[in-house]
Amino acid sequence: MKNTIKVQRAILNITQEELAQKIGVSRQTINSIEKNRYVPSTILALKIARVFNTSIHEIFELEEED
Amino acid sequence: MNENQKDLRLLPTYFKSISIVLLVLSIVIPVGLSLLHWVDEKEVLKTIALTGIINALFLLSITKDKEEDELTLKIRLKAYTFSFLWGVGYATFTPFINLIVDGEFVNTMNIYQLLMSMLFMYFMAKLFMKRNR
Repeated sequence: MKNTIKVQRAILNITQEELAQKIGVSRQTINSIEKNRYVPSTILALKIARVFNTSIHEIFELEEED
Repeated sequence: MNENQKDLRLLPTYFKSISIVLLVLSIVIPVGLSLLHWVDEKEVLKTIALTGIINALFLLSITKDKEEDELTLKIRLKAYTFSFLWGVGYATFTPFINLIVDGEFVNTMNIYQLLMSMLFMYFMAKLFMKRNR
């Protein structure tokens, strides 16, 4: 599953650390999600979408192999 | 979310200090008792030390890290799975290794060795996965 968290962060001009603090996870977890090494839970994905004030589909997208 | 779906209930972070104290005491007390000749039965001292060390490591394994979130929980669960599989493999293959090394098909492993190796593998797997998350 690919995501646009990096782009969304750039739009809001926030760092991984700041995003991590807003949703209550570690910076490493945000980094892992951004690099597609970890697929977040639905709850975490919804929290991320809420920070960026957008829908979950704008951030996460299924890939062929999913 | 029902009760079964909730995350692991881990001990608070301060239990890390408690387990380290227990670990140190588990080594220092038996060594001290032996040096002072208060207890001369080596098997008893060995049992005290190993029980203490295993309990300390177990306590450490169920204590929260400073940063605990769903990714670290997933890593923790993977590490537990790995250590369980390791334990089963270790117990199963020990007689075969003994057969190759000593020529006897016997299981010489005791419960302390098994638990210690499983806990060691748990910490190694967790460390490795946390570094590569």
